[in-house]
Amino acid sequence: MPITMQYDGMKEISDMLKDMGGKAEAIASKGLYEGAGVMANEIKKQAGTIRTEDFHYTVFGTRLPSPEEKAVVEAAGVGIAKFAKNGSEVNTSVGYRNAGYAALAGKTKPIPQIINAINSGTSFMKKQPFVRQAAAAAKAPSESAIISAIQAQVDEMNKTTT
Amino acid sequence: MPKEYEALVAALKLTSVPFAEYGWKTRPEGAYGVVSLEFEAGTLSGGDAKADRAWEGSVDLFYPKLSDRTDLIDEIEETLAEICGDAWELNSTQYETASGLFHVEWAFQCLDEPEADADADHDAV
Repeated sequence: MPITMQYDGMKEISDMLKDMGGKAEAIASKGLYEGAGVMANEIKKQAGTIRTEDFHYTVFGTRLPSPEEKAVVEAAGVGIAKFAKNGSEVNTSVGYRNAGYAALAGKTKPIPQIINAINSGTSFMKKQPFVRQAAAAAKAPSESAIISAIQAQVDEMNKTTT
Repeated sequence: MPKEYEALVAALKLTSVPFAEYGWKTRPEGAYGVVSLEFEAGTLSGGDAKADRAWEGSVDLFYPKLSDRTDLIDEIEETLAEICGDAWELNSTQYETASGLFHVEWAFQCLDEPEADADADHDAV
């Protein structure tokens, strides 16, 4: 369930970074980290809205996750991947890729698999796309966080050089 | 309900895959699809009102035979392109060992444009 968010052509950022020379990449990375943090927090918040059911009575229909499955999702850490630099770009991803394993009903399952079944649905699980919903809700706030973090660093550097 | 979404549901129901909105009470034999409108993804506001509301939803295709893949996927992607322009993407593909079904999921966005308000010029007090 990769969610791609691309911030480019942001005039505020390019204006702020153009005079930073070799430090521009480090400043941009710090900004990206702050933006990714906003996204990760929103995913954690949306995970709390997952609906559950204790029992399932329908034989052929789709079910909701159990409270135990929701508890696994809520306890799982949302990770920010190591930053990849490609020319003038700095990229990262936010998600559950390395969330590990959990024991459910006596079976050990990869946590990303449990989360994917809830987020994307299956033929037997009703989908609740909380990661896509978080990405939509966090897009503007994470963009603001990136700009604020870069602005703060640029201001700090300008203060120390004057 | 966005008109674009209603058009998408109608168009998907004309494809060779049986489609239902929000899920099936009884899982059909063979390939089947589900289309859902899920949440508000972004809004342009102005004049104390929501001017344009973007909604996000998804299309799910479940099919049992790998040989069905190309035709069914092409048919659904052509329908998405026809109704949603380029505001859709392939979100995930997976194989369910428990049911033996392949699952392909697309996310799409559609716009809910407000109807023109005939009294708009007379609201001010």
